[in-house]
Order: sequence, then structure tokens, then C-alpha cells
Amino acid sequence: MYRNLLGIGAVFAIALILVGITFSASQEEPADFRFINGSEPKSLDPHVVTGQLEGRIVDSLFEGLTFRDPKTLKPVPGCAESWDISADGKTYTFHIREEARWTDGVPITAHTFAWSWQRLQEPSKGHEYAYILHVIKGAEAYNLYEGHVERLVGPLEKGDTIVQALAKLRRENPGGVDRATWSGFMRDQKINDVVKGTRDPVIQRALLGADGRLDAGFLEQLGSSLEREAERRRALHTQAQEHFGVDEGVYAKDDRTLVVELNAATPYFLELTSFYSAHPVPRHLIERLAAERKASGENEGKEDWFLPDNIVTNGPFRLSAWRVNEKIRLERSETYWNKESIRLRIIDAFPYDNTNTALNVYLTGGADWTPTYPTSIVGALKKRPDFRKNPGMVVYYYRFNCTKPPFNDARVRRAVAMAIDRQLIIDNITKLGQPPAYRLTPPGLGDYEPPPAAWGYDPEGARKLLADAGFPGGKGIGSLTLLYNTNESHKAIAEEVASQLKKQLGFQVKALNQEWQIYQASTLALEYDIARAGWIGDYLDPNTFLDMWITNGGNNQTGWSHALYDRLIAYAADVDTFLPDAEKVVPELKEHDKARALVAAVSSADGAAARVDAAARLRLHILREAEAIFCDELPVVPLYFYVVSSMVQPYVKGFYQHPQDIHPLRGLWIDKEAR
Amino acid sequence: MRGAVIVVGSIGAVFFLAMGLTVGLWEALVLLIGVAFISSMLWYPPHVMRIVGAALLAVFLFAFLQTIAGTVPGAVIAIVLAVLAWRFLPVRVHRRVGFMVPSMVMLIFVTTILMYMAPGSPFAQEKQTTQQALEAQAKKFKVEKTALAFFGTYMKGLLADGTMGLSVKVQGRTVEQLLMPALPVSMSLGLLALVIACFLGLVLGIRAGLKPNSFADYSSMGVAMIGISLPNFVIGAILLVIFSYSFQLLPVAGWGTYGHLILPAITLALPYAAYIARLARNGTIEVMQQDFVRTARAKGLSEQTVIVKHALKGAILPVVSFLGPATAGIFTGSFVVEKLFAVPGMGQWFVTGALGRDYSVVLGTAIIYFTIITLFNLLVDFAYAWLDPRVREEL
Repeated sequence: MYRNLLGIGAVFAIALILVGITFSASQEEPADFRFINGSEPKSLDPHVVTGQLEGRIVDSLFEGLTFRDPKTLKPVPGCAESWDISADGKTYTFHIREEARWTDGVPITAHTFAWSWQRLQEPSKGHEYAYILHVIKGAEAYNLYEGHVERLVGPLEKGDTIVQALAKLRRENPGGVDRATWSGFMRDQKINDVVKGTRDPVIQRALLGADGRLDAGFLEQLGSSLEREAERRRALHTQAQEHFGVDEGVYAKDDRTLVVELNAATPYFLELTSFYSAHPVPRHLIERLAAERKASGENEGKEDWFLPDNIVTNGPFRLSAWRVNEKIRLERSETYWNKESIRLRIIDAFPYDNTNTALNVYLTGGADWTPTYPTSIVGALKKRPDFRKNPGMVVYYYRFNCTKPPFNDARVRRAVAMAIDRQLIIDNITKLGQPPAYRLTPPGLGDYEPPPAAWGYDPEGARKLLADAGFPGGKGIGSLTLLYNTNESHKAIAEEVASQLKKQLGFQVKALNQEWQIYQASTLALEYDIARAGWIGDYLDPNTFLDMWITNGGNNQTGWSHALYDRLIAYAADVDTFLPDAEKVVPELKEHDKARALVAAVSSADGAAARVDAAARLRLHILREAEAIFCDELPVVPLYFYVVSSMVQPYVKGFYQHPQDIHPLRGLWIDKEAR
Repeated sequence: MRGAVIVVGSIGAVFFLAMGLTVGLWEALVLLIGVAFISSMLWYPPHVMRIVGAALLAVFLFAFLQTIAGTVPGAVIAIVLAVLAWRFLPVRVHRRVGFMVPSMVMLIFVTTILMYMAPGSPFAQEKQTTQQALEAQAKKFKVEKTALAFFGTYMKGLLADGTMGLSVKVQGRTVEQLLMPALPVSMSLGLLALVIACFLGLVLGIRAGLKPNSFADYSSMGVAMIGISLPNFVIGAILLVIFSYSFQLLPVAGWGTYGHLILPAITLALPYAAYIARLARNGTIEVMQQDFVRTARAKGLSEQTVIVKHALKGAILPVVSFLGPATAGIFTGSFVVEKLFAVPGMGQWFVTGALGRDYSVVLGTAIIYFTIITLFNLLVDFAYAWLDPRVREEL
């Protein structure tokens, strides 16, 4: 008996010792500031990451030409100590700080930035956020045009090029094709992606559906236009390969002078220079490790320069540990040029994605900040003094499948939008006083004035609209599904909306949940009737909410298409292209008087600066007109704008509220007495 | 005999056709060949089985050893060990190896097919990106377009480079670099939980089994029933409320001190303890009615000696057979417990890998789970032989 007990005791002891061996953290000193980061970062390579939680770490490790002031989030001098902007707003000259260094002492020069931004655009890397810097001359050509040429005219490993597919379409339909067939063809072939920004009038007409039927002659013309477009892109790509990063777009004039040339005056370009995709990366380290990997025959995908053993950084913090599913530890960098301004010494970021765990850790003093918590108990949490909230730059909406009945009829879509009582959802489910949404763009987007509301909550009017569309009392619609991705609060909202629609409009809607990946595949393939979605604005500008709805845009996913809307979005991207067409387009706009006045202001502007300013105002008005079309057509029904919230201990100072929900770690400090 | 062949043959043909239609002809064919190869081993004469077993062992050992020792030394050690195995190991071990290695390959194959049948991709993002970016990433991470191509690339990586591929969701590390630090965390936590479960379960179960239908029985089994019925996130939450919130004795979550161990280990242990208690109770009741126990009592031995020396071994036999799969399960971690207590273990990779369509991670977890479960089943067989003389003859 005692032998047995001894045995059990021995196993127990071995188990404890084994566990102890896995405790690598036991010797670490406690951190000044600990927060719940919500998940494991995909990477810490500034060019690879795409998420907010990764941005928190990467922005602390690396510093771009500018960085966001923690209080205002406006760009202030970082690696660049100053800059000059040309009168036309198209050329920026940055003067790199002499003290800018990597943590291994290697200096950061203008060449570092030119190489980094070129790396961001490297086609073979597949960096998703490369488009952030496509405002730079030659960047898009360098990044994408080679792929466009391949899709248009080949060579492809298998399958048809677009030009071949078009020839086939023409052979099969000698009499031409109707608009619906053409839309399907464009969607299948993803033509939009590969001719984006084309100036060719034939292609432009084709993209807009050619106002109806496309005859055989036009299709033939289109084929040769596409071939020409491919040639043009091939030439531009070759040129960009030679010059981009060397003497065009972005290049170093000398070690401390970086020149950036833009396609068009871009008012928010300085903000882009503080965004993580534009951070510099250590060329000397990346190239050394790549050479070593090549020598040992390892896979290129195993790029690991950003792991703690390898990484060098230039930001206010350095990476001291990254233990997957346990924590990331940042320590103040002693080589940072402005290290005196950094008051936190050690930061721990926990990757906990379980909201219950996050809240437990926070409430028992294991973390000082948690942006996540179980939303089901928000009613109790919001009464606490350490609960912070403010309006966010996110809109929650339902997509309609505009390619099939009943939602191919704008009246039915509007009826649904008018029949939903948003306030009820906000009071009973989301509970944070979210502003109800009757349009797409959230409040507070700089100088942008959204169009006046075209409709509101009006069940009576909704029923009338539905009857006009041929479905009186919801008869003839049948049973529809409302798709959402698995999540408690999406579920509650979906079920509430379904019951409201049944009550107000009389047709049956079944709330259906799908796991995230399947849900995404379904919405991409337009296999739904109504589908939940949300959109987080990338920057403080209405364009980030509006440009995704162009015909067959990757994030459109509704099948909605509107020729004038597409044109307006294209004009907003470069106002100079609007002016020649103004005569023709302005009468089609809702507020044409205002538009005409703004156009006149641009043409009569005195001096380059005044013109840039007037053009910016005209641009915002074009976007306003686009949103007015959107609110009439409603390919999606907006429900509410988010309120961003988190729990922060009162002794954490330097924590400011912004609609963008960005809280730079560099600005935080701890009030030790309050703690 | 001929009837049986026709029946089995036609079932196989229908299955093959169905597979061919749903997942593709080539996939079905590979699967068929794999199954045929594994089943054909049943008919191999011993000397052939020894050669096949040793060869498969060599391949398996090489894939494993080359990462530790390098390619050439790895190959040499693998061949030497395989020759030794061929010469000295009994044929039943060869049969086991002969079953295990091709089964693992088939497991990888079937898992790959299933992964590719599920909608989605490891590169899917809410914000759509360009086709070029997706293709460049797929190339970089060796995520092929079809299941068959992926299987080929993956097996090549496994055998030629000894790597389980790259994770897309946590980049910069190979799957083995991600899972290997997590495995000891789960194993040691699991071992601790297992010791607690065995101790609690056996005490409760044997106490109940010695006096069936008494208060001791009903109370123990009542506790066990609660342990089985309550999901472990509820048990965990109750423990948290008591020990962390009310008494503030233990940390709520995290990893790094012995205090972090206690709550997850207990949460993990309770359902297993409950199962063990029920098995031990039944085992005890059965054993106490056996002739040899009556003989022991008749010899005049004290009740304690009868139980410890004679009855206990028999009573825990059903527990031992449960412990095989249970240990494999508990050693590979629990998603719920690891998430609730923020333990950096294996369990969460099973779920996050599948949900994120992180193909290499899914395969990595499958391989590790398969290896551990086969290993523990083998250990159970040996334990059985040690505990029960009747089994020893058969093995």
C-alpha cells in the first residue's frame, strides 16, 4: 500500500517538475503596463500585418517618417525631422533625422525608406496593404501591373486569359450579349481588378455595362482595347521596375533626403506616413537572413527576421519576448532618438481571445487595459467608472443580394430599411447608446457633410413600398434567410430583425449562422438573401466607406452596380478628371447648384494652394453625391454606428478616446500614486 | 467465402464510386490503394512482415531523426535501427509498425481532402485583397490549389526536410516550432490532472464499489454524475468564483507560476475522475464476487489485505483500458480549459487551426494526436499484460 502511495507521489512530483521546466517566465520582472491584445499577431513584419491588434505592437516597435501624436492622432515628425511639400501638393521632400538608428546601431537613411517602400510593393511578396501607398507614382504599376498583364493576355499556367475568354464569349454570342450576361462575365473574370484606373473609353464603357446591350462589334473593339491596355501596363511595369524606388516615385536624393512623388495631390498623405505599412524595415538584417535561408535551402515563407532572436527595431520599444499564446513583452528602447519622452519601461501584451478570460484577468488586477469583454454583460459593465466609450468609425449593416428577387428591386430593399426599428435593437441588445444608422458614413469624418436623410423608421411607408413592388403584405416573397457569422450579439440582432420584418412586412426571414470561413465564402459567392457585415474605416475620410461599392468591387459582395456611382467614386480619386466632364455630369447630380459652384471655385482659384483647397471641397461634395445615390439604392441596410469601448484602470494616464480606437502605447504612463 | 468476397467487393466498389464522384477520381484511387496496402498486411507471412515493418520504421525514423541529427547521420541511424528491429523485434511489433506508418500517411491524406472540401482558405480576409497577393502568399506558404498537390508537397516536406510546414496564421515559425513548446505544457498539465483524476476516481469508485447501494455508493456516484454532466467551462467558472474572486487565493488565468496550475488541472481532472470512479466501482463490484477473493477471505486475510493485494488489480483493469485514450486526450490539451485559463498548450491549436483553415497546423495536430494515441494504446496493451496473466498469453 505504501509502495503504491509512494509511486503516486513520485508521478505527482515528476509532473510538477515537468511543468516547472515550461515556466520560462518565472524569473521575469513585473511589467509597468499590461493589456489584453485580443489575439496572436499574424506577424510583426510591418508590411505583412493588417490588423488593429498587430498595429498596436508594430507601431511601438517601428517608427515611420511620422508617428501619430497620442492625443490628437495627427502625424508629427518621427524619422523625418521635417518635410517640404511642393505647391501642387504632389511632391514631398522628407529630411531624415540624423539620430535615427536601428537597435543594432545601423543608421536609418533615406535609402532605408526607399528600399522599404519598394519591398512593400514587391509583387512576389503578396503584401495585402501595399495599396495603402499606391498614391505614390509608379507604385501600383510596380506592384500589380505584371499580374494584370498575365490575366489579360497571358502567359497563364492554365485557364483562359480575359482576352481569350472574351473571344469565346463573342463566338458563342454572335448577336452580342445582354447586360445581365455581361455582368456575370465581368464578375467571373474579375475584369474590374485588372483594368482598374484605365483611361480607355471603350473599356470604361464596358465596365459600366455599356448602357444596355453589347453588340458583337463592340465586343471586338473591346478585345483590342484590352490588348492595348495590357501593352500599356506592361510598359508601365517595366518602367516602374527600372525606376520605382531608384529615381521615381520614392527615392533617396542623398542619405538624409527622401523624395516622394504622388499621382495626385493627396490631402491625407502625411497620415499614411505614420501608418504601419509605411514603416521602415531593416534591410541589412532581412537580406542577411534571406541569404542564410537560401544557403541552407529553407522555404522562403519562413521569413523570421521579426522573431525576438533576430529582430532590430527603430521605435520607442524593442521586442524582448514573444511566446505564442502566452505574451509579447516590449521594453523601452535605449537607442530611440526620443527615449526621454517614453515613460513606460516594460509592457506585456496578452493574446487572450476569450472575452471572459480577458475580463477576469482585468478585474483581478492582472491587466490594466482590456478592449474586449463579454458583450452580454455590457449593461452591468457600462456603469463602472473605468468603462470608457466613444463613437467609433465602424458601421454595422446587412447586405442584400441584389442579383435575385426580391432584393433586385430597390423598393423592397428600402422597405426593409424603413421597417427596422433600430432604436429597439440599440436599447435592448447593443446597449451602448450606439447612433442608429440611416446612411453609410459614421459621423465625425473630418469636413465631410453627409447627404440629408432620404428616409427613416416608417413601417407604414415600408408596407406601401413593398406593395408597390408587387409584394403586398409580403405575399409572394417566400421564405428568406438572414446569414450571420457565429457570434452571440450578431445572433440576437439577426433574430430581432427577422421578427420585426415578419411583424411589419409580413414575410418570413430565417436567421442562419455559419462559421466565419463558410460565411465569408457564402457572401463572396452571393449565396445568401441578407447577410450581416460591418466595416471599419481605415482613415478619417468618407472614401473608405464608399469606394468599396463600385461594380464588382472585391468588398461589394452584393452584386449591386450603378454606373453614375462608379463614375463619381473614380472622379473623387482624382478631381482633375472631373473638371473636363463637369458639364455633362453635374446635371445628373442631386445638388447640382452646389456642385456647379464648387467646380467654378476650383477653376477660378487663385494660386496653387487655394486650388488644392477648393479641389478638396469639390471632392467631398462628389463623395456626398455618391452617398446620396447609395442611400436611395440601398444595396445594404445600415443598422447602427459602433461605439468603441474598453476598460482602463484609472491610474493609466495618456489614454485618449478617438473614433479610430487607436491608443498609441508610446503615450501611456502610470500614475504610481493612484495605483 | 465467395459470397463474402462479392459482398465486400461490391460495397467497396460503391464506396469507391461515391468517393470518385464527390472528391475526385485520383483522390479516391489513392485512398483505395492505401487501404488495400494496409489490409494486405494481414496476409503477409512473418518474414515478409519483418522486412516491410523494418522498412517503414526506417522511413518514419528518418523523417524524425534528420531534424535532430541532420540528413546523413539521421539516415544512418534510421537504417541501423531498422536493421536491428528487423533482426530482433518480434513480428507482432512489426505488424504494429506496419499498421501505424501507412495509417498516418492515410490520415494526412484524408485530413487534407477534408480540409480542402471545407469552404474558405487560410488567406481569407474580411477585406478582399488582390488575386495576385493571394497567389503570391499561397506560393510563399506552399498552399497548393488542390488537395492532391498539397498532399504531395506536404509529404515531400515531411520526408525530405523533416518539417511539418509553415503556419499562415502565426508566421515566421514552422508548425513544429509552434506545437513543440505547447506539447510539454499540455502534457505536464495533463499528467497532473491525470494523477488527480486517478486518485480521486479510484478512492471514490472503490469506496462505492465495496458497499454497493449504500450511502457511500450513492454519494460517490452522485458526485461522479455531476462531474460527468457539468461541462468543464462551468466547473472552471465555479472554481474561479470560489478560489479567485471570493478567497483571492489563485490567479484567474495565465502561465508562469505553480499557482497558475491548480485551477486548470482540477478543471481538467474532474470529468475524468468521474469516469474513473464509475469504472472502478463496477470493476470492484465484479471482482469482489470472484472466487479468488472468497478464497483470500477464507484464508483469513484481513479485509484491507484482500482489497489491496487481491481485488485492486482486478478492479482497475477497466480503468486501465480507459486510461489509454484518456491520456492521449488529456495530454493533447483541452481547448476550453486552455482558453479559459489562458494556458499556452496544444488544445487550442486543434480548434484555431481548423477554424483558420491553417492547413499545416491542422495536419500537425492530427499527426501528434495520432502518434500519442497509438503510443498509449500500445502502452495499455503492455499494462494489461502486466496486470492480467490471461492477456499475457495472447499478446
